[in-house]
Amino acid sequence: MVIDKIFFTIITPIFAFAVGLSFMMIKLKVSARIERRYGPPIIQPIYNILKLLLKEENISHGVIFSLGPVIALAGSILTVLFIPYAGIKLFTGSGDLIALMYIMVIGSLGMALGAGESANPNASIGISRALTLMLGYDLPFVIIIISVVLYYHTTNLADIVAAQAHGHWTLWSLPLSAIVGFVVAYGALGEHPFDIITAPHEVATGPMVEYGGKHLGFLVINHAFHIYIEIALFVDLFLGGATNVLWFYVKMFAVFFIMMLFDEVYPRFKIDDAVRFFWKWPTIVALISLIIVLVK
Amino acid sequence: MNASLELLLATPFIGGLLAFIGGKVHRWIRNLIAIIFSFATAFEIIGYYNVTIKGIVWGKLFGSDLILQTNPITWLFLFIVTSASFLIVLFSIDDMRKEEDELKLDAYYMYLLFVEGAMVGIVLAGDLITFFMFWEIMSWTSYFLIIHGGKRSMAAGYKYIIMSVIGAYAMFLAMAMLYAKAHSLVYTDVANVLLHSSPAFVIWTIVLLAIGFFVKAAVMPLHTWLPDAHSEAPSPVSPLLSGVLIKMGAYGLFVVLYGLISVKLAGSLMPSVFSTPLLLYIIQWLAALSIVLATFLAIMQEDAKRLLAYSSISQIGYVVLGIATGTSLGVAGGLFHALNHAIFKGLLFLVVGAVIYRTGTRNLSELGGLIKKMPFSFVALLLGIIALAGVPPLNGFVSKWMIYEALLQKKEVFLLIMAFVGSTGAFLYVYRLVHSIFLGQLPKKYENVKDVPILMQIPIWVLALLTIVLGIMPGLAMNVIVKGMAFFGFKPIAYNLFGFPQGTAMGALTTINISAGLAIAFVVAWILFILFPKSRKVSQYDNYAAGQVVTEDLKYNYSYGFYMSFSRVIKPILKWSIERVYNYWVEAAKIFGDYYMRRIYTGNLETYNAYIVIVITLAAAFVLLGGKIW
Repeated sequence: MVIDKIFFTIITPIFAFAVGLSFMMIKLKVSARIERRYGPPIIQPIYNILKLLLKEENISHGVIFSLGPVIALAGSILTVLFIPYAGIKLFTGSGDLIALMYIMVIGSLGMALGAGESANPNASIGISRALTLMLGYDLPFVIIIISVVLYYHTTNLADIVAAQAHGHWTLWSLPLSAIVGFVVAYGALGEHPFDIITAPHEVATGPMVEYGGKHLGFLVINHAFHIYIEIALFVDLFLGGATNVLWFYVKMFAVFFIMMLFDEVYPRFKIDDAVRFFWKWPTIVALISLIIVLVK
Repeated sequence: MNASLELLLATPFIGGLLAFIGGKVHRWIRNLIAIIFSFATAFEIIGYYNVTIKGIVWGKLFGSDLILQTNPITWLFLFIVTSASFLIVLFSIDDMRKEEDELKLDAYYMYLLFVEGAMVGIVLAGDLITFFMFWEIMSWTSYFLIIHGGKRSMAAGYKYIIMSVIGAYAMFLAMAMLYAKAHSLVYTDVANVLLHSSPAFVIWTIVLLAIGFFVKAAVMPLHTWLPDAHSEAPSPVSPLLSGVLIKMGAYGLFVVLYGLISVKLAGSLMPSVFSTPLLLYIIQWLAALSIVLATFLAIMQEDAKRLLAYSSISQIGYVVLGIATGTSLGVAGGLFHALNHAIFKGLLFLVVGAVIYRTGTRNLSELGGLIKKMPFSFVALLLGIIALAGVPPLNGFVSKWMIYEALLQKKEVFLLIMAFVGSTGAFLYVYRLVHSIFLGQLPKKYENVKDVPILMQIPIWVLALLTIVLGIMPGLAMNVIVKGMAFFGFKPIAYNLFGFPQGTAMGALTTINISAGLAIAFVVAWILFILFPKSRKVSQYDNYAAGQVVTEDLKYNYSYGFYMSFSRVIKPILKWSIERVYNYWVEAAKIFGDYYMRRIYTGNLETYNAYIVIVITLAAAFVLLGGKIW
């Protein structure tokens, strides 16, 4: 039993990374085809990460600058352990959904601190935008979290997944919340039109502007984790989790595929417009859904 | 420990007087006396851990007994007051050395200890007269502390004392009403009278008392004094005001709501919303509005201490919100957050005080890059902001989690949404604080800055350690809180050293697993990191600037107006200001004073002489016509 737990604790982050990486690979190919290009080889992201990690020349602006990517990765690994998948729940009993919301922040905090120490205004502006956007999508996010929790009368994520067994997905019972959940997860991933944080043409990739070499490699790895976390949480909350790993992967892929299609067609929001957008339609729809749950 | 409660109460007052007299001999004697007596007070409370003393009569006034009492909740607040005061005295020794007028310094230490003594008195009080007496001593002595901060602090202190006096009048009126009915102001007698009173009487009493408490606790809309007073006060006084003094309002509210009346009684007097008595529900809304609006205002600030002051309004909102829920979990969360806020806000104000001590400014856009010069202060500030933002594994997270869960249990969704948004908004302003002070480019003028002296670092580190200890082992605090709440008739909640089992709230929490998991994940990530080629350190001028060369004289930093785009979003909200409403009344009073009162008080001796003659003539005429003056 203990051996099992240790085994899965080691294997889960690797699985999460693999899933995130595979999505990054597929995305390159799909977006190339939409743009009528041939696109790079499918394992290009692996080449990228290896190239970055093995660079002999790395620069650092200080201790926190170096620790930033490390804390970000540590936070992501910890978060992954709290998200149940395919019947495996490792740390889920130690912290419920409310705790998870704040555990997810640890990684971003490390990232923000590291970017801050790079002493570059582009990085600072990037973090300022990231936090502002976060406050934007957090409002609809907490409303749907509350709706789901009140609907199932528990904040334990594993129980929420269990209650959706046999096809009783939250997607069917609370469709409005699910739609908002999708928009929020999409915004949190920072895809178009919400790629305000990195916006290469405006702030030179924002927080990452001074990062290179292994630091940047760590941030790319972290991005793979980030994709996994946002989508796995959506699948657990609204698509009923899954009983086996393959099915879980299929569900996650379906969500990611739809996101990719959106990503290809949108331009970029202005930051205040993004916040206004999140505070308007997603919030209104989420509130309607919440009131439906309350009245029921 | 056999020390009586009177001794505990007297210690800081005696210490304050001795420090003032000692200052006449030598400044080190004064400093030593202040340290010894504040430490002695903190040491004496150890004997009262988990002790309940029902009441010691220490005097009699207007036929009502003056009573001192203690129970575990009292102990919690005694702990906050005495330990914070001790640490602040330690911090003051070096920080206040820049004050050249020794007489002012003597008075400063005296008032510091008096404020501590007054707060001990408030907490120990077993009747409203004792409570009110020490409440007033606290207001006045803290006023004298605030105006130590220089010219601009005079106006801030004036605003503070005016609002405090208004709050005190409201409380006094409530006390008079109660006295007329009960002929005694001992808590138990008052509770008895309230039990058999009409609903209108009870509600008026609570409202009037609550006005007094809300002014001190800076709950919106009675908060306007706080940002000025807390930012203009001297550096060591700000943590005392923000960390401890505003908690007295929360303590008073707790005593009134659960000591004098009870949720059950309140529920029988008025309609309930979401199974909360209406009055409590209104208090919750005021607290929730404080949380959100003060958070938005904190995001806009350009001054480090003002930012923290607005953050205090928002955090005290969580305390009041928790206390007003009326459920065991929510009240425990509110009380725990009072303790946590005292710790992390004290820590943050002290670190900002340390930065001001070295750089002489608290203007965020003038600072930057100090991490290389003051690394210890940076780590301490980092712990403080993580705790404030409510991110695990530090203490602020646990108490906020309890408040969220309590609101979830009661299905008070709109309040919960506001509490969540306030917490996310806190990420914005705490990052602004750490970024603008410690990250970014280091201005050339701070090249020779270094960490503060050891005597100033000790208090910072004690508080930093507490954020970690209480974050991993919340059971230590719950031990006191749950026992104390049983004293006020609350059902005990299940807890253990490392969190809460399933059943207490809607989910479980085990803090040790979160922190241990984070530590292991960090070590793994770090080992992976050092496996790859080493990095070379570069200077801050070796930086990407689209081809431009960054030099010392080029200000290459993003600090002013950090959240400009966000301020555009909330502009419609910022237009509203309760302060403008108050200022309107102040102006009206001024006009009244200028145009009408000036006609009577002309400042002309002849006019006054004429008044005397007129009065005497009228009196004489009155007597001559057969009237009787006495």
